[in-house]
Order: sequence, then C-alpha cells, then structure tokens
Amino acid sequence: MNNDLKPVMEGIFEVGPPSRLNGAICPECNKKFFPKPMVCPHCLGEVQNIELSTEGKIYTYSILRTKPPYGLPQPYAVGWVDLEADGLRIFSLLDPDRISDLDFGKRVTLRVGAIGVDNNGQACLRYYFTPKDGGEQ
Amino acid sequence: MRSVDIIGVGITNFGKHIETSLVELGGRVAIEAIKDAGIKPSQINAGFFANMQAANIFTDFTVGQNVFWQAGINSVPVFNIENACTSGSSAFNLAWMGVASGMYDIAIVVGAEKLVVPNLGLMQAGSTELDTLEGLVVPNAFAMRANLHMATYGTTKEQLAMVAVKNRRHAGLNPLAQFRSPITVEEVLNAPMIADPLTRLSCCPNADGAAAVVLCASDYSRQYTSRSVNVAASVLVTGSYENPCNMAQWDADRRASSIAYERAGLGPQDLDVVECHDAFTISEIVHYEGIGLCPEGEGGRLLESGATSLGGKIPVNPSGGLLSKGHPVAATAVAQIVEGVRQLRGEAGACQVEGAKVFMAECMGADKAGDIKSCTVNILQN
Repeated sequence: MNNDLKPVMEGIFEVGPPSRLNGAICPECNKKFFPKPMVCPHCLGEVQNIELSTEGKIYTYSILRTKPPYGLPQPYAVGWVDLEADGLRIFSLLDPDRISDLDFGKRVTLRVGAIGVDNNGQACLRYYFTPKDGGEQ
Repeated sequence: MRSVDIIGVGITNFGKHIETSLVELGGRVAIEAIKDAGIKPSQINAGFFANMQAANIFTDFTVGQNVFWQAGINSVPVFNIENACTSGSSAFNLAWMGVASGMYDIAIVVGAEKLVVPNLGLMQAGSTELDTLEGLVVPNAFAMRANLHMATYGTTKEQLAMVAVKNRRHAGLNPLAQFRSPITVEEVLNAPMIADPLTRLSCCPNADGAAAVVLCASDYSRQYTSRSVNVAASVLVTGSYENPCNMAQWDADRRASSIAYERAGLGPQDLDVVECHDAFTISEIVHYEGIGLCPEGEGGRLLESGATSLGGKIPVNPSGGLLSKGHPVAATAVAQIVEGVRQLRGEAGACQVEGAKVFMAECMGADKAGDIKSCTVNILQN
C-alpha cells in the first residue's frame, strides 16, 4: 500500500495490517458509535476511543452503474454492514473487485486501500469490506 | 392554536424554464396565489421562501426577499428555508404555525427551484459527510432500500416498475407534468440501470418549477374566498438516528402520520387522495406502509391491486408524482399541497378524485445514518 496517501477523512481508521475503524463507546450508556461523536448523544458524557470489529455481514447493498463520484470505479458497490460484535450497522464502500460475490448476509472483512480521490481530487485511502472466502451464511 | 385555511394557490408547470430566473419563477406563483386568494399584498403579514440549491448552483442566497418584493410584499418578516426535499413543506409548517399561533393572520409560502443546468451530477448529502466520501449518492441510498424491501417482503422488480407506469398514466391527465407519454413495465425494467434495481425510469428527473400557497386564519378566510381548504394537521419530524436502523421501513413516516392523524381526528381509512414523495419507485411503496395505507411489507401488493391508481380505493400521486413531473426540490412539497387544494376544491381537472374531502401530502428529505433528515405530513380537509 502507498503509505504517502491520506485517509479520505482524518481519524476514521488506522492503517494496518490489520486496519481498524476508530469507533467510540460511552461508558455510562454502554453504547458504541461510528464515527466517534463529540460526546455521547444520549447523556452528553465523554466517550472513549475503541477499535471496532473488523468482521461483519452485509445487511443491504447496491451497485451504482452510472458515472461514479470521487473517481470510484464504475460500477462500484456500497452497503450497510452489521458489526455483530459491536451491535453497530455501518455504511461502507464494498470491494469493487468482488461485486459479483455480494449478497445479503454475506460475511465480510474490513480492508483499507487506495481507491478513488478525496475532496481535493488527490488519490486517497478508503475503508471497504470484502467478502470472506467460504464464509457465506 | 387557531384553525388555519389555505385561501390561495399558484403553480408553474414542472420542466425546463431555461429563460426564466429563479426569482421570476417564484414571483409568478406568488402573484398567482395572492390573486387567487382575493387579497392585497399589503394584507400579508409574513413570507416563507423555500429553496435548496440556488446558493450551490447560482451562488444566489437570501432569495425570498427578491421573490416577495416582485409580488408587492415588503417590510414584513421574510424567512429563507432549506430542509432538502421537505424545504417547501417545512416553510409551509412554519407559516401554518405562525398563523395558528396568532402571530400572523395571513402568510404566504413559496417554494422555487431551478435544477435544469448542465453537469449537475448526482445529488449527495454534502462533501464533508463520511457516507458521501465512502460513495453514498441518493440513487444508491434508495436502491439499498429497494433491495432490502424485496429480500424482506417479496416485493418484485415488476411491482417497483408499476409505480412509474401508474404515475406516468396519471401524468398523461396533468397538463403541468413534464413527462406525459405512457410507459410500460418492460420499458421501465429495460431502461439504463442507475443503481440496481433502479433504472433511469425508476428515478425522478430534475426539473425547474415553483409553487405557492396563501394561509389565513379560518376566522377571516370567508372574507376573501368561498374556496378555502382547512389545514387539519401540519407535522414535521426528523430521524431518530438509532443504530441499528431498520432500512426496510421509514419509522419517520409512521411517527409523522400518527401525530397528524391524531391532531386531525382522522385515520388512514379517511383519506380520499394522497400525494407522496415518489423520488424513486421504491419510495412510494414504502410510504404506503409508513402512512398506514397497508400493513408493513404489503406496499408492492397494494400497488399491484390498483387501489392507488385513479379510480382505485385510495389514489396516490394523481398529479403524476415526482416520477413524471420531475423534482424541483424546494417547489415539490408546496406543489403537493397545491395539488391537494385543487383536489378538495374539485378543480383538479382530469386528475380529479370525485368527491375528495380529505387529502394527505407526505414528503421526506435526505439521508442520515440510514435514517432520514426530515419528514412532513400535511392533512387538508374540506
């Protein structure tokens, strides 16, 4: 991976291996969040940084066939992924090279890679989930 | 709170208004609504102007004062309002609140938008949002809901396509709609794919357009017109942003319509005609379920039964909806209310639902955390 590239948004993930998404937990409410909020939106207390699970399964997804934004591949797929260990459903780009393998309930793993450009038109790193081989439910 | 009536309406056709400025579009409908109401501009106590994209596209902002001045309105409070697709109904909700509270006796709402410009691209939530940077654009947000609805409830691609076919059939009766030629299920399914399973004919087109309504305290409306229509309920809610969010349903529809039904003392069985936010075919089906026209998961089958077609039990989008008229964002939700007033006045021409007494306008705006940013439900009654 090109280590000179910046993440698409600062502070969202740690570049691995293994790459991790930066989440947060409120110790009072025991609720987890992604991305990290300023404070817990339920009690306005301080939240603590946590690393989120790198494993999940696809809740829903879609494939965009028309001209993509941010220099993303055409076509590309996005979806909502359930991180069951964290009780969170998060939005994510899905592996552009594995579009034909996507399905509901498909087990997926977190990756970070150089895909597309950022708001300044510069090549950048994005997080995405890729189907786990043989892990289909 | 006082009872509030709508006493005047104005609307342009939705489509291309290349030679007409945003300010002129807004001014035209304001003038039409004021004349329709039978009042003088000096009798208006406040103006509410809705627009979403002018600052982005034309670097125009605080446009309302320019719009209202053309229609003879000055010196009074003027507000400029943006709330995505519900910009127009949010302006309406504020105007209703202003009159219902007793602050104003008469208020005007104008929603106007110009979107027919080269290279507009796909609409998205804003370039500082993480979801947008990860590839979320409006069509794939709705495509994910469509895929989930099909997987969860057995809704079919054909049922989705039938929404576009029905609304286009209705649009053939509406001279103000942009696209009026009939289309078939096969044509919808075979149109270029935008985001699986939504094809180009499953997505509402861009449009320019404007619409206006004049609201008046019910105590005074009879002085000006015999064609007033009562606002039985005006409700705006936002998303709950709970995680995980059920994306096969719109909880906000359910919450907003429940509040509206309670305030109006009515239920879904009392509705005679509905205009809803059919930005994509899947939207209309999920809205049926959210506002209680059918049980959860039954929207596709309700549509297929013909119940929501003109002549059916509860016609939805007799104007042709956004899918046929196009979606001049901030004009859309005001136009829905104008359609409702025309239905309840018996002035809807070939789109008329015979004897319509109760109308609902439902509108929804923007995505956040898999939920929505805003949802409005307005019930009008004769």
